[in-house]
Amino acid sequence: MTARAFWFDSTVAVIGAGAWGTVLANLLAKNCREVRLWCRDEEQARAMTTTRVNAKYLPDLTIDPKVRVFAEMERIFESRIGAVIWALPSYACRDRMREAARFFRGDEFLFHATKGVEKGTLKRVSEILKEELPCARIGVISGPNLAVEIARGDPSATVIASHFDEVTEAGVTLLANEMFRVYSSYDVIGVEWAGALKNILAVAGGAVEGLNMGGNARAMLITRGLAEIARFGVAMGAKAHTFTGLAGLGDLLATSGSPLSRNFRTGFRRAQGEKLEEILANLGGVAEGVRMAAIVRAAAQERKISMPLSEGVQRFLEGSVDVHEGIRVLMARPMGREY
Amino acid sequence: MSAQRDKSHPAVQFRQVPIVRGPLDQFEIMRPEVLSSVVQKTYGGYQNGNYDLILGQALYQERFRLKRFRPNVFSKVRKKKDEALWREVQGALLRPSTEVARPELLQKVLGHYAEEIGGHFDPAVYRFAVNLVPLGLSWMLNAASVRRFLPWGLTQSLESRMRIYGEVGHLKKLAQKGTILLVPTHQSNLDSVLIGYLIYLMQLPPFAYGAGLNLFSNPVLSFFMGNLGAYTVDRQKSNEVYKNVLKNYSAEILQRGVHSIFFPGGGRARSGAIESKVKLGLLGTALDAQLDNLLAGAPKPNVYIVPMTISFHCVLEAASLIEDYLAEAGKHRYIIMDDESWQPTKVARFFWKFFSSQSAITARIGRPLDVFGNFVDEEGRSLGPNGTVIDPKLWLTTGGQLRREPQRDREYTKELGKKIVERFHRENTILTSQLAAFAFFETLRKKYSDLDVYRFLRLSLPQRSLHYDEFLPKAEEYRRKVRELEEQRKVYLSEELKAVSTDEWLKDGVRQLGLLHDNTVMRIQDGVIFTEDMNLLYYYRNRLSGYGMSLLAEGQIGPGKDDSKGFLV
Repeated sequence: MTARAFWFDSTVAVIGAGAWGTVLANLLAKNCREVRLWCRDEEQARAMTTTRVNAKYLPDLTIDPKVRVFAEMERIFESRIGAVIWALPSYACRDRMREAARFFRGDEFLFHATKGVEKGTLKRVSEILKEELPCARIGVISGPNLAVEIARGDPSATVIASHFDEVTEAGVTLLANEMFRVYSSYDVIGVEWAGALKNILAVAGGAVEGLNMGGNARAMLITRGLAEIARFGVAMGAKAHTFTGLAGLGDLLATSGSPLSRNFRTGFRRAQGEKLEEILANLGGVAEGVRMAAIVRAAAQERKISMPLSEGVQRFLEGSVDVHEGIRVLMARPMGREY
Repeated sequence: MSAQRDKSHPAVQFRQVPIVRGPLDQFEIMRPEVLSSVVQKTYGGYQNGNYDLILGQALYQERFRLKRFRPNVFSKVRKKKDEALWREVQGALLRPSTEVARPELLQKVLGHYAEEIGGHFDPAVYRFAVNLVPLGLSWMLNAASVRRFLPWGLTQSLESRMRIYGEVGHLKKLAQKGTILLVPTHQSNLDSVLIGYLIYLMQLPPFAYGAGLNLFSNPVLSFFMGNLGAYTVDRQKSNEVYKNVLKNYSAEILQRGVHSIFFPGGGRARSGAIESKVKLGLLGTALDAQLDNLLAGAPKPNVYIVPMTISFHCVLEAASLIEDYLAEAGKHRYIIMDDESWQPTKVARFFWKFFSSQSAITARIGRPLDVFGNFVDEEGRSLGPNGTVIDPKLWLTTGGQLRREPQRDREYTKELGKKIVERFHRENTILTSQLAAFAFFETLRKKYSDLDVYRFLRLSLPQRSLHYDEFLPKAEEYRRKVRELEEQRKVYLSEELKAVSTDEWLKDGVRQLGLLHDNTVMRIQDGVIFTEDMNLLYYYRNRLSGYGMSLLAEGQIGPGKDDSKGFLV
């Protein structure tokens, strides 16, 4: 049996029924026998099963009939699972993994679509997966993937990084279709850090938009922002060119200018004067950028890596500096060479 | 467990322990089968290959090697045979394939290599050797020791000179449950002899091991090693055909349950540091062997990788190793053919000094690993996160089938290699001499922090001297650092290093450091501490690189790398 045939006949689990998790389940359904989607909320799971719609996150997307939704982890693993896609927000990762660990056999291919790192330890999600689950073959999915756009069938692309060829090959087989291109990479560290760091800049992108600033400001933010997150990423062991790829520049372009991004909306509303707590309370999901800004500031200071934009975003979010003052400070920094 | 951990294994108290039998005892019977299987397996790997190209490349590299090969009296015969073979291959390749069948030609080459690599094992020689070693050692000891008239002091002294710590019991249990691949750190040519003897002392069956072909040019060594399960590794043969035969030989004997030893660093550590990188080619044969066993449904399929560290106060060949390292003369490719360490007078001198000086050799058996680098429990089961048990079969299953998947397996072996390096550092025992060298070297460096390594090593004698009293607190500061590391379980300290007073451990270290060299590495005289040989000091200091203690170690530079001034971090 070829690898493709194996995956077309396999059952795949998606852990997390947020917007991206639901879209991933639908993408997978086109290329495998069955998808089992885990949803924390029992009521929501029941509603999704009967109405075939994820009313909370994606009311316009009809869920593929091959997708079965469960609220109990043991039900997910009732049948033999070939691959698992982990699509939960980063803050609860380790605890959830610990709960789920006993259901894993060891031969499952693990993918995660979580953009963030662990507070304090700075461990990437793939590292946490390795520490908590008995599986070795792990990949990461990241890229300019606004869930709503993919849900309505717009063309899009993503990148899957893994040290194992068979993992990236499985990811391509399972996810790619005529409107969704999947690239592969060996730079796991780079793809994970790019995906996590760009969220901070997406918040800044929202703020720039919220202040009605033009294209120049946005372009400056993106190019200089990319330079600083790449600097940080390389210090963490990433390859620089990964940051100019889909997971870095690609994702940055998509989210720093799109109201579909929660990070963008957070920056946008904050710039218009709303309090952070109020924004987060009715955002309809998690803004990873807010969490990352705090984590990265501490880490960058410790390592003496210059990250003025991230620093500015953190101060602006926590309210220690007003947005105009923040911009003034950033613009008044000493001039230097571009590279 | 920790209390037990730091007790030397009791086996070393006895001079004579029973010989434990193992699969190597039957080696002479299975040897032809092993070799033909190695040839068939390697040949199978070339199925449908371009034989002309494969043979042509090997021919080119071999002729190049033979041209530069300067044999001695004993290796002359081998060179002649090699030349005859490759002349024949060349002649055959010039004729059309209808006249000379290429598959047969390739098999002939494979057979030639397999025969050269394949070792022998003679139980009688083994018996003789294990009896000879303690006899020889006792003689040395008796002659050298002040207690020569007290025969009962003998065993006790032997015990105190060779210390084995760590997971000895665990290792012995696993030797019953699967095949052991012992991976030690490698500093000296004496390592093979020493490890072989320690294995006997631990009451394990004899192990097979790879030994550099250059060691076989000495007839006495060649006789012993050749009959004690050593197979030859010629690092000058760089062609793919040879490498494949070698890998298949290693996999074949592991698969047949023959416990083996590899030095995963490739050769002796030139810099004196603990291996920061390991060679993955041969290491990968552990996974290959286990997978083949699983596919064949073998009763004891598993291969267990057991790291081992050995700490010396002095390494016989330190001077030429560090010189080689500093010259960077092709690193591992450069093999010193006329090695000073095997001149009989030097060897005798080494043992004499070793025993007259109350010096000790410290070895530690590390926690056993599986072929992926996971820890293994005493039952031989692979441990996953939070103490769960992993079934290795599932990690080797792809597309629902247990099978070989070269890229996947290489990746697993890479992980294993990283884990071995990490364990080497953690299971290492720091000695007083190494810390004394490190502290002195780094304290000097602080004084001359703008010099790069080459200029620094050329400091004049007054420049490389410090007032002993001023140096004491600085040395103690380094001890505080290693103690901290020990508390974090990142390293072990020798008993002497736990002495109460700074003066005590430091003087012990200075006395022990590099005892056998012509130059004293460090000396204390008239209240001044100084070194007579900066290169040797650097060599011994390097043993503590990789622990993040070195001066100017910038942020993210890892072990095995140089800092901005060219010093090993």
